[in-house]
Amino acid sequence: MQARASLAAPGKAAAAAFTITSQLCGATFLYLILRVDGGWQVVGLLALLGLGFYLLERLPWIADYAMASFARVPLVTMITAAVVVLAFPFFVGSNTYMLHLLIVAELYAVLALALNFQLGSANIPNFATGASYGIGAYVSALLAINFGVSFWLTLPVAALAATLFGFIIGIPSMRTRDTYLALVTIAFGVVVQQLLNNFSWTGGPNGLVGIPAPSLLGHSFADPLVIFGWKLPSQANFYYLSAALVVVAIVTAHRLHASRIGLAWNALRADEIAARAQGINVAWFKVLAFAVDAFLAAFAGTIYAFYVSYISPDNFTFLVSVTIMTMVIVGGMDNVFGVIVGAFLLTILPEKLRAFADYRLLFFGVVIIAFLMIRPQGLFPQRMRRYGGDL
Amino acid sequence: MAELLVQQLVNWITLGCIYALLAIGFSLIFGVLNVIHFSHGDVAMTAPFITLGLAQALATALGASIPAWLVLAVPLAVLAVGLIGVLLDKVVIRRFRDAPAMMALVATVALGIVIRELIRHLYPQGSNPHAFPRLVSGMALEISGVAVSWFALLVVVLTVALVTMLFVFLRMTPLGLRIRAASEDRIVARMMGIRDARVFRATFFIASAIGATAGLLFASYAGVTRFDFGVMAGLLGFSAAVIGGLGSMPGAILGGLIIAGIEVLAQTFVTDGASYRLVFVFLLVIAVLIFRPAGLLGRTVMEKV
Repeated sequence: MQARASLAAPGKAAAAAFTITSQLCGATFLYLILRVDGGWQVVGLLALLGLGFYLLERLPWIADYAMASFARVPLVTMITAAVVVLAFPFFVGSNTYMLHLLIVAELYAVLALALNFQLGSANIPNFATGASYGIGAYVSALLAINFGVSFWLTLPVAALAATLFGFIIGIPSMRTRDTYLALVTIAFGVVVQQLLNNFSWTGGPNGLVGIPAPSLLGHSFADPLVIFGWKLPSQANFYYLSAALVVVAIVTAHRLHASRIGLAWNALRADEIAARAQGINVAWFKVLAFAVDAFLAAFAGTIYAFYVSYISPDNFTFLVSVTIMTMVIVGGMDNVFGVIVGAFLLTILPEKLRAFADYRLLFFGVVIIAFLMIRPQGLFPQRMRRYGGDL
Repeated sequence: MAELLVQQLVNWITLGCIYALLAIGFSLIFGVLNVIHFSHGDVAMTAPFITLGLAQALATALGASIPAWLVLAVPLAVLAVGLIGVLLDKVVIRRFRDAPAMMALVATVALGIVIRELIRHLYPQGSNPHAFPRLVSGMALEISGVAVSWFALLVVVLTVALVTMLFVFLRMTPLGLRIRAASEDRIVARMMGIRDARVFRATFFIASAIGATAGLLFASYAGVTRFDFGVMAGLLGFSAAVIGGLGSMPGAILGGLIIAGIEVLAQTFVTDGASYRLVFVFLLVIAVLIFRPAGLLGRTVMEKV
C-alpha cells in the first residue's frame, strides 16, 4: 500500500524525468510510424502499440502515475510538448508526404475535439460535423476567390457562418433524441453536401479550384519556411498553423471542461431529466454544444481549404462525419488526449495500410469493428473529475 | 397532363413499395434489438450481386442463358442474404445490443464499409456497375393511355404479399408472438421462457430476406447495380423507417411511400429536381422530426423519473 501511495505522488525530479521521457517516446513512435514504409514494419509497430495499450489495461497505475506526473510539473510538460511539436518538422526534413499526413491528422484532431464537446461531454450524436467543416471550407474559399479577402479575415467569417449553421441544427435537437436526433443530423449533413454538389456558385461536383495561399507579415505560405538557415518545405507553414489551431482547441476544451458549461454538459450526459431538475437549461446547453462544434470545425475547414487550395463536395460527405465520430469513440469519449490520439491513429493508419493496397478500406472497417468489440470504452477512457483534492 | 400524372403515380407506387420493404427491415430489427442496423442497406444490395453470380455460374456449368436461370437464382439469393443477416448478427451486431446507441451505429456503418468492399473484391470487376435485368418484362395493362409494366405490378403484388405474410406471421404464429414479446421487453420475455437467441435469428433472417427482395427490385428498377448502392439504399430506408416511427410496421410502409412521393414530386415538378431530390427528401425528414419527434406513427414514450 505504501509503495502504491508513493507511486501516485511522484517527486518533482521523477515526475519531470517521466514527463520528458514519455513525451519523447511518443514523438519517436509517431516519427517511426510515419517513416516506415513496409508491411512488416507497420505490423511490428502496431504490435508494439497494442502491447503498450495492453500494459495500460493490465496495470492501471501506469496511467495514474502518468497523470500525477503531468499534474506535478505542468510547466515541464508544456515546454516539452511545445519543443516536440516545434522541432518535429526539422526531423521530418524534406519529406513532404509525412508533413502532409501530420497536417491532415492535426485538422482531424481539431474536428474530433470539436465533436467531443457533443458526443463525449454531452452524449449528443452529431453526424453533421463534416457539414460544418465543409461550410467553413466553402465560405472561406468563396470569399477568398471571389472577393480576394485575406485568409485571416475569412477565418472568423467562416466560423461565424458555421456557428449559425450549428444553431440551426441545434434547434431541432431540442425536440428529438437518440436515434431520431442522429437522423436529423445525418439529414442536415446530406442536405448541405448535396447543395454544395448542385449549386453552380459552389462549383458543383467539381468544387472550387485555385484558393490563394495565405500570407503572414509578407511571408507567403506557398514559399518554403526558412528558420535559422534551416529550409523547411512550404507544408511546414501549414503544419505550424494547424498545430496552433490544435492548441486553441485543447485550451478551449480544457477551459470549457472546467467551467459550468462543461459541468452542465456532463450532467446532461448522466441524466437529462435530473439535469433539468437541477435547474440546467437543457435546450440551451444542447444548442450551445452544436454551436461550439460548428465553430471549431469551421476553423479546421478554412485551414484545409487554403492548404490543399482545392475543395470539392466529396471532402465533406457523410462518411467523413462517421470517421470523425469513430476517432472520438476510439480515442475515448470526453478525454482530450485520447481523442487526439484517436484522430492521429485513424488518419495515419489507413495511409500506412497502403501496403495492403486495394484491401486497405476493408481492413480499416474490420479494425474499427474489432476495436469497438474489444475495447468499447476507447483507448483512454474518460477520467473522474478532480477538484484539486487528493482522492 | 393526365398521362404524366398516371405515369408518375405508377413510379411513385413502385419506388414507394421498394423503400417500404427496406424500411421494414430497419424497423423490425430496431423493434426487437433496439439497435440501428445501419448496414442493412448494404446487406440488401448484396442480393443483386449474388443473383447475378449464381445465374452466371449456373449458366456456365449447365448451359442455357443467364436470364433463364434467374428464376432459380433469385430465391436462392434471397435465402442466402437472409443467412448473411443471421451471420452478421451472430458475429458482430449481437455484441452491441446493450452498448450505447452510438456504438452500434458506428459499428454497423463500419460493417457497411466491410460489406461493400467485400462485394468489390469478391465479385469479378466489382468496382464497375453491372447491368441487372428486369425480372419481368413487357406491359401489363393500360390506364388512360399509359402502359403499366408487369414489373410495376410485380413490385406491388410482391410488397402486398410480403407485408401480409409478415403481418400474419407476427400476429398468428408462435414465433411471431415471441418476436413481439421480445420487442416489447426482452428481459421479461426471457423470464417467460422465450429463447431470445432464436428470436434474434428469426428477426435477422426475415429482415434481411425482405431487404434482399427490396435490393433485387431496386436493382431491377434501376436496371443496374453497383457495390456502393447500399449507402443510399440504407440512408433512404432508414429515413423511411424513422419518419414512420421506428418499430412500427405500418409506419415503415407509410415512411417508404412518403419518401418515394417527395422524390417523384421533386423529379417531376421542380426544374433540375433530379439532382436536388435528396435535398428535398432530407429536408422533409427534418421537418417531420421537428413536428413529430418520434416519427409519424411512433409511440412517444414518457420517461418515468
